[in-house]
Parts: sequence; structure tokens; C-alpha cells
Amino acid sequence: MTPDSALSSHARLPPFWDEMVDGRGGIRPHWRPIVGMLAGLPQGGLAERARRLDRAFEEEGVVTILPADPGQGPAQRPWRCDPVPMVLSAAEFATLDAGLSQRATLLSEVLADLYGPQRLLAAGLIPPSLVFANPGFLRPCRAPTPPVRPMIHLIAADLVRTPRGEWQVLADRTGAPNGVGFARENRRMVTRVMPEAFRAVQVRQLRPFFDHWVDSLQRAAPAGAENPRLALLTPGAAHETWFEHVFLSRELGCALVEGADLTARDGQVFLKTLKGLQRVHVLLRRVEGRLVDPLELASDSALGVPGLLDAVRSGGVRVVNDPASHLAEAPALATFLPRLAEHLLGEPLRLPNVPTLWLGDPAAAAAVLAAPERWMIRHALDGMAPAQHPAEMAEAAREALMARIRAAPQRYAATEAVQPSAAPGLGARGTLDKGLAPRPLVLRLFALADGAGQWQAMPGGLARLIEDGDRLTGRLPKTGVAKDVWVLSEDRTDIVGPAAFALPPLAIRRVSGELPSRVADDLYWLGRYVERLENAARLIRAVIARLSRGWLLPRDLAELRALARCLAEAGLVEAELAAAQPDGPALPRALIELCRPNRPIARLLDNVNRLTRGVRDRLTSDMWATITHLAAEAREKSAKACEGLEELNEAAGAIIRFSAGVAGIAAENMVRGGGWLFLDLGRRIERASHTARDLGFALDQPLPRVEAGLRLAIELCDSAITYRNRYLSVLQPAPVLDLVLADPTNPRSVAYQLEAVASRLAEVQGMAEGDLARAAGGLRAEAEAMVEAVARAAEPAAEAVRLPVRLAALASQVGSLSDAIARRYFSHVQTSQAVGVGEEQAQG
Amino acid sequence: MRYRVTHVTTYAYGEVVDLAAHLLHLSPRALPGQVVLAAALTAKPAPVRMNTGMDHFGNDVTWMFIETPHDTFRVTLDAEVEAEFAPPPPANATMPWERVAAIAAHAGGEGWRAAEFACGSAMAPEDDAAGAYASDSFPAGRPILAALLDLQGRIKRDFAFRTGVTTVSTPIAQVLASRAGVCQDFAHVMIAGLRRLGLPARYVSGYVRTRPRPGQKRRQGADQSHAWVGAWLGPEHGWVDLDPTNDIIVAEEHVVLGWGRDYADVSPLRGVLLGGGAHALSVSVDLDPMQEEFAT
Repeated sequence: MTPDSALSSHARLPPFWDEMVDGRGGIRPHWRPIVGMLAGLPQGGLAERARRLDRAFEEEGVVTILPADPGQGPAQRPWRCDPVPMVLSAAEFATLDAGLSQRATLLSEVLADLYGPQRLLAAGLIPPSLVFANPGFLRPCRAPTPPVRPMIHLIAADLVRTPRGEWQVLADRTGAPNGVGFARENRRMVTRVMPEAFRAVQVRQLRPFFDHWVDSLQRAAPAGAENPRLALLTPGAAHETWFEHVFLSRELGCALVEGADLTARDGQVFLKTLKGLQRVHVLLRRVEGRLVDPLELASDSALGVPGLLDAVRSGGVRVVNDPASHLAEAPALATFLPRLAEHLLGEPLRLPNVPTLWLGDPAAAAAVLAAPERWMIRHALDGMAPAQHPAEMAEAAREALMARIRAAPQRYAATEAVQPSAAPGLGARGTLDKGLAPRPLVLRLFALADGAGQWQAMPGGLARLIEDGDRLTGRLPKTGVAKDVWVLSEDRTDIVGPAAFALPPLAIRRVSGELPSRVADDLYWLGRYVERLENAARLIRAVIARLSRGWLLPRDLAELRALARCLAEAGLVEAELAAAQPDGPALPRALIELCRPNRPIARLLDNVNRLTRGVRDRLTSDMWATITHLAAEAREKSAKACEGLEELNEAAGAIIRFSAGVAGIAAENMVRGGGWLFLDLGRRIERASHTARDLGFALDQPLPRVEAGLRLAIELCDSAITYRNRYLSVLQPAPVLDLVLADPTNPRSVAYQLEAVASRLAEVQGMAEGDLARAAGGLRAEAEAMVEAVARAAEPAAEAVRLPVRLAALASQVGSLSDAIARRYFSHVQTSQAVGVGEEQAQG
Repeated sequence: MRYRVTHVTTYAYGEVVDLAAHLLHLSPRALPGQVVLAAALTAKPAPVRMNTGMDHFGNDVTWMFIETPHDTFRVTLDAEVEAEFAPPPPANATMPWERVAAIAAHAGGEGWRAAEFACGSAMAPEDDAAGAYASDSFPAGRPILAALLDLQGRIKRDFAFRTGVTTVSTPIAQVLASRAGVCQDFAHVMIAGLRRLGLPARYVSGYVRTRPRPGQKRRQGADQSHAWVGAWLGPEHGWVDLDPTNDIIVAEEHVVLGWGRDYADVSPLRGVLLGGGAHALSVSVDLDPMQEEFAT
């Protein structure tokens, strides 16, 4: 179907407002340029653009993370955006802007009163139970010192347009509204994929809004902060909008931090970095308000900072939005907003709500119980809870709901079951070629407090289509295809950012002292796990190469036995296998099991995936795309590896390519500062440790078999070609051991790793002769001493087979060095525990 | 009656605590009927930062932040308090209980402050079973104080005072089923029942005077933290404190620390630690009536 024929199907008007087509079958004026542009695309062109958009989001790794099913990790859903935007005319947006600003002012005033004198309760303008029974009413935030105003810094409103064409508010988001980052990503991608559309119309840019945002965050800093440090407080990589946190932190120039990265000291808040504590002045909060301080709020929260509220009260840090600001999201509050607007602002509410009743009012409850099918039933207080539609419920379920309402009507609100307007959009992935159809949508708009009492609306927004089979609920749909929202501009004057906020000149820095300890920890372990995967893959390949020879010579058997011990020591196979007959069926069977879910390889890949997501903000888009692409290939191949040794061999190859890809991209793209240092440190420590350990097993042979051990040592270190170039085919202990243990130019030798470890540690410590770097140097000397001992011995082979004990000791000393590194740099990562909330029972 | 209060709380940690933040509801509240003559909180190790303030309920709060590594934390309250609470009106002169509930439920009425305490909270929810138990004392039209006194009398008779059968977090359903517990449990059961009937009720934390058996001396530190119930009689008479554990109206044998919706709002000491491992808690409380000659 061409866009043209899709457009004609728009003419049959169902009982909803059509955004694009007016009641007489004509295209609304503000849609005409877009429609003209769409009509000019070649056959299938729009579907092709949609696929490109899908791919673009996939490559950037933009996903929403859905809540985990029991027993499984969190599921990811790729972010999808429709290539056809939602269009708002300049005049219409001006009206919405004014309405949104008024609501922002109103709700800020309401919050200031509820956390202050509570005159609105005394005057009966808000029923007390909407506040006092609301878990979002954070009592510790109501202190004699009132909160800094406005408590709302960024507000969002979810809107629907009624069949009569009026925009109405379904929900206010005053706590920590999300979606701004996704709106920005939508615009970035749609601009890339639909360039001709932006030539057809003048669309207001989003960039100035973000400039204003940075500006207002800096202005929010406590007085006296000269160069205010901003941080975005995130619940972490498992949160559903984690990717938005990553974009926003970049866009706004904030450090991306988790609660455990921060510490409150003496009424101020600090970021725990490798170079010590760094003051933070403004926290852009993306952690739910009740979780930000386990000392005063939810004591079981691991996402907060103990003492944060104390620091807020003493003015040492500003948190936006205020932790207590979720309170104004209660759906039942909508009932009272018109009166509150008159009372507090002396003017009527400009942007009305979808008609909403609080059922704690007996007359309202009676009306809803009499005609429940006209309403959707919502939790009175919890704006996130899904709405229920009596009209669509089975008789028994509806009766049960009515009974619950009768028993506790004050817990419910009812919002008119309105039919949202529809805009042209493409369907699900498999149906893109069917063309455009009118699809119902919810629109989220945003506004920002500019710090001078005014509000700045984002000239754009986030629209989401309601998926087939889904119903309108009390909020922006969590799934569903997104739409970029285009606000048309009538002139170019608004394409101007704010006046620059005067900042003192920055001192030049070459080191990233501010690397949070947790990020260093994540990168260190990412390095270790990637290397561990690579080593596992190399061992697997070495075993398969021998097994596939068919007839095994005694030499092969000796090597296999050593390899089985390496595998067992690395925790990849059971220890008994190392003792078993290596040419029996047990070893291949165990290898094939290795890649199954919850077995070592899959677990390592999961860990790598988790850590990569956690350090997403430290990686450029190209690095991210390369790493995730190679990791996906490794996953895909290893999922098939249980089918046979050939498939396993391919999986091993994919893992090695992945590991090489990570190394290459890190070497070529990461600044040699804090982040890279720890990634490389992890990798080197891991390789030093397993190389020493595996060489020990390789050399642990009876004297006559020493040659087999040496050959294996060279193979494990991927050094066969180098050896052959240097020494042809003569295999002798001292040259072999020099190449794999002491040669500082061989990137697989033990000495090379320890040299690198010493040099990274010297950089991290900022001095050449730090204690940790010295310890690494000592270990390197031990590796050299072993080669020296063999070279000097009258019987080098006999000396070589005595080395395994020393090699095992070296591997374990590398382990101790790793522990020392962790104690020095990652001890901040320790989590806190709550005591006392209910330990001393009142027993009188 | 004038009292000297000494309340010592000691945490012994299995591992060193590097950083600790504590929140204390451990200062007697000044009230009509309670004069706080002196109150001092001391901690060891000494906090690097110590703040005092007032919470949403008007209780005194103290924050302590400790940055000295320590394996023992001790907080001591030393206070002198004079307590003598005015007696409530005659029970039969109070409003019918339904009227009190209606005023508390009516938005914007005189009951808006009390309405907070009619809402369920985590440890004292508007519980059906507790409501059913309480409702036997609340026949239609009964003056509220008469009903309240009847209810606390029944709690005293029906529930066995037994330590060790419940913990701080035992839900009231279990207390109702086992009919045994300590003062905190009885307070929560009574509050939950009253809330289910729409009546404002609050949790009061403090101390009660214990009398040694005849011929014996009071043992040092043998007193306990105590808890009881504040109940709202309507706008005219306000709040009355009732002690269901002892079936008495609070008059001059109690010292009030503060109140909230339930225990969690006024737990005497809470904290968040970095480090610490396992820990052991010990508490010693003394409520000594002061010699008559020192009292005025």
C-alpha cells in the first residue's frame, strides 16, 4: 500500500479526533507539507525508513528494560520510533505551553503548601487522606525549614485529545519524569533517517531546551559554588530507562552516578573517586524520592545516600526534582485542581484534566458505581498503577472491582474513559509494508523551571502509540511505538539558546581523577571477564584440535591431560575430569555442556553484558556498537555450541574475535586515562594469572615428556610463529620459557603483563614507585628469575619440570595483588546496612 | 511527678564500622503536662556532626554522623522530666464515637490534623480483624471515651503480656491470633482497630514507672521503653493517652518521648552503617522518681 492509499483510508472517520484529517476529509493545514513529502517517497520508501530507524536504535543499543520475569534477568525491548512525526502547529503549542506552565506553577504551589503550612488541608481544598494516606507524602521532608522552591524542576504532563479536539491531561509527572532523553534520541534518529522532512517544514529545535536545562541546573547549585558539579543520580543499569540516563548525563554534562558512588559528609555530598572525595552541588534525581536516603526514608533502599536529606536541609546540595515531589502525581488530585487554581493563582485552570472523580466523595462514588462502563478506575494515590476498564471486564471481575470500591471508595479515582486522538503511523515490525493507519496516541510534554519563576516548555515531546489490543491507561504507555513530536515554527527567532552562564575558566586536566570508584571497579572486572572468556576459548580450541586428530599419540594424551587440568582450574569443567582418561567420552561431553545457560561461558557472557551496560556512558557510540555486535555474535554462536564440537569450535572463534575487538577498540578509542587504565589493568592481571597457572600445568610432565609441555606452552601463549621465526623447529626449554615468561616484547608473556600492570598502577597512583607498582615489578622479576634458573641449569629440562610449583605460587601472588588493588581502589564500593529501625522493641 | 530518665543504648559490631549515620527520637517532648527540665544526649564515639530539629509530628529529632572507625556505639539519654497530665473529661460527657469518625473524615473540618492518624500505616494498617475485635466495644452511639476505656480493658484481659514471642516487626495479625505480645504490639492492635473504625489513633513512645515488688529494691536498668495509644476524642477534648498494657489513663506515671503513626515513625534509634557485620544490641532504661524534697 502506498502512502497515498493509506491516507485515503483516513477518510472513514471513526469516533475519535484525527490529528491529520479534518472532519470533511481534508488534510489539516499543519500536516500538509509532511503529507506532501510522504507522498513523494518512492513505493515502499516509508517502510524502508522505518526499518532504518529500527536498525539505528538497535545499533545505538537504545532499549527499554522491562521488569524481570521471576527467575530471569530483566528483559530488554528495543526502542522503536515511527518515521512519521506527530505534528503540532505553532498556535496549538503556544496554548499547550501556557497551560503546562500554569500547571507547573500550580502544582509547585500545592507541594510547597503540603510540605509547609498545609493551609490547603485546613481550608478543605484537598481531602487530608489524599496526603496523609499517600506513601508519596514523605514526612521527613516536611521540616521546619521549608524545602527550596520550586520543588518541581522538570515537570511532564501526559495528554490525550478528546473527540472534540480538546487536549486534556491524563496524568502529571512531578517526581522524576522520564522521556526527555528518549524524545531527544527520537529527534536525532528521525533527522538522520528522514532528512527531507525537515526541508519540507520549519521544525523547532530541541537543542536550546537542553542548553536552558544545563543553565538552570547550574543556577540551582547552592550559593557559593563557583564551578558547580552536576551529577545524575540513577538507580543503575537494570532500570527501565537506564539508557535515557546515559544520554541525559552526556547531553547535560553531568556525572552519571549511583547512590553508592556518593557519600554525605558534614552536610555536603561527595562523589567517591579514585582521587578521593569530590564535592557534588546539584543532583538530577532519577531515583524514586522515597529511596534517596535510607537513614530517613525507606531504610532498605540500596539506591540512596545515607544523610542526603540532612545535606539538602543544610543547603549543601540541591536535589532536583525535590525527593518529596512525587506527591502531586496522585490521580485523585485532578478533581481538586480547578478550585486550587482559583484559590492559589486567582485564575481558571487553562489545561483541564480528563474528567476525574475522587470516589472518597459519596456522590462521586455513587455516580461511578451506577455507570462504571463510562470510566476507567485508577488508584487514587498511585499515578503509576495501571488503570482498569470496567467496560471491558468480565461480569465477575467487574463486580469484584465494584465491591472493592464500595469497601474503600477513598482509595479510588475514576477518569472518564476517553477515546484518544489518532495520528498516522506504521504498525508492528512485520506489518510495516501495510502502510499508514490512524493510531491512537498519548502525548507527553515537558517544562523546566528556569530558576527565575518562569517555565520553559520543551518545543517537542514524546508521543507513544497505544498498541493494538491495548487500552488507554492512566499514563503514557510503557511499550508501544514512539513518535517524535514536531512543533512547527513560524519564525526563526526561537532558535537561540540561553545567554551563557559565566563560569570561571577551567584548568587543563589530563587525568580523569573523577572516575567514580564503582566505574573503575566495573571496568576492571570487564577487563578480567573478557580475558577470562578469551582464555577459555583458547583452551577449548586447543582441546578440540587434539580430539579431532582421531588417533592420539602419547604426546597428545599428555597435552590433553594438562589442558584438562587448565580447564578444571579455570572452573570450566569438574575437577574429576582432569584426573579422568583424557581420550574418553567425558571430556568432549563436558565441553559441549560449557555454553549452556547458567554454565560458565554463558555466565561470563552475561557478566560482560551487564558490565558493558553499566559503563555505557564511558563508551562512544562506535565502541558500543562494535562491542555489542561482536558480543551478540559470540552469544549467538555459543547458544548453538551444545550441538557439537564443530559448533563449539566456531563459538570459541567468535569469542576470540569478540575479545580482540574489545582490545582493539579500547586501544584505538579510549583516552589513556582512568577508565582505560582499569580496563587494561583487569585484562593484564587476568592474563598474568592464568598464563602462569596454565604454564605450570603444561610443564608438569615427567622428564621424557618435557617437549610436549614446551610445545603446549608455546601454543597456549599463541607464540608458535614467533618461536619458529627465532629458533626454527628446535624446541629447548630456555628459549621457550624466555618467550612465554620473560620476553617483554611478547604481548602474551607473563613478564609483558606484569610490566603493563606495574606501569598502569604507577599511572593510577600518580607515581612511578608506588607500593602496588613495586609489587608488580617484584612479580615480574620472579618470572625472569625462573627463566634464568633454567638457562643456567646443567640440565635445563630437569629444571623446567621443577617450575610448576613456582608458577603456581606466582599465579597466587598475582591474585593477592588483585586483592590489594581492590582494597585500595574499590573499597568505596562497599554497601551500607541499616540498623535500628525496629530493633529496640518497646517492651514495657 | 518528677523523674530522672537514663536510657543507654549500646551496639556492639562484629566488624569495624567506618561511617555511621544515626537518627534519634530520644528526647522527651515538651508538652502541656510535661516539663522537660533537662535533657542531654551523648554518644561514644563522638559524632563529627550532630544536629537537632523537629520532625513532621513536632517531635525532637537528633542526627548524629560518625566518621571515626568504631566497633561499639553507645548513646545515652540523661533527662529530668516533670509529668502530670490533665485528666480527661468524664467518659459519658464525650461525643458519640461515630460523630468523631465523621469529623475526622470530613475534608476541611476541624479534624483535618487528626485525620492523619485515622489513615492506616505500615505497622498499624486499617486492619479488618483488629477492627472486628475493637468493634465489640463500639456499639452505636456510645460516648467515645467510654468505648476506648472498654477496649483497653479488654486488651489487658484478652492478651497475655509475654516478652520474646514477638519482635519489632511482628504483624498485628499474628498478635491477634496468638493473643500475646508486649506493649508495642498491644498499642498497634488497638490503633489498627480504631483506624478501621475511622477513628484517629496515634502511637506514643516513652517510659512508664515500674514499681518493685514489696520489700524489693528497684533493679537498675530494668525498666523498658514503653508504648501506648493516643486517641482523639473530637475537637472539644482533643487527645487522650491510654495505656492498654496496664489498662490505665496516662496521668503521672508516664514520660512521653514523642508520637507518630506507628513505631516506625518514632523508633528511638535508627542508623545506616558502612561496615559493621553482625551486631548485638543492648538497652538499659531507668526511670527514677526523684525524692520529694527535690520536687517542687
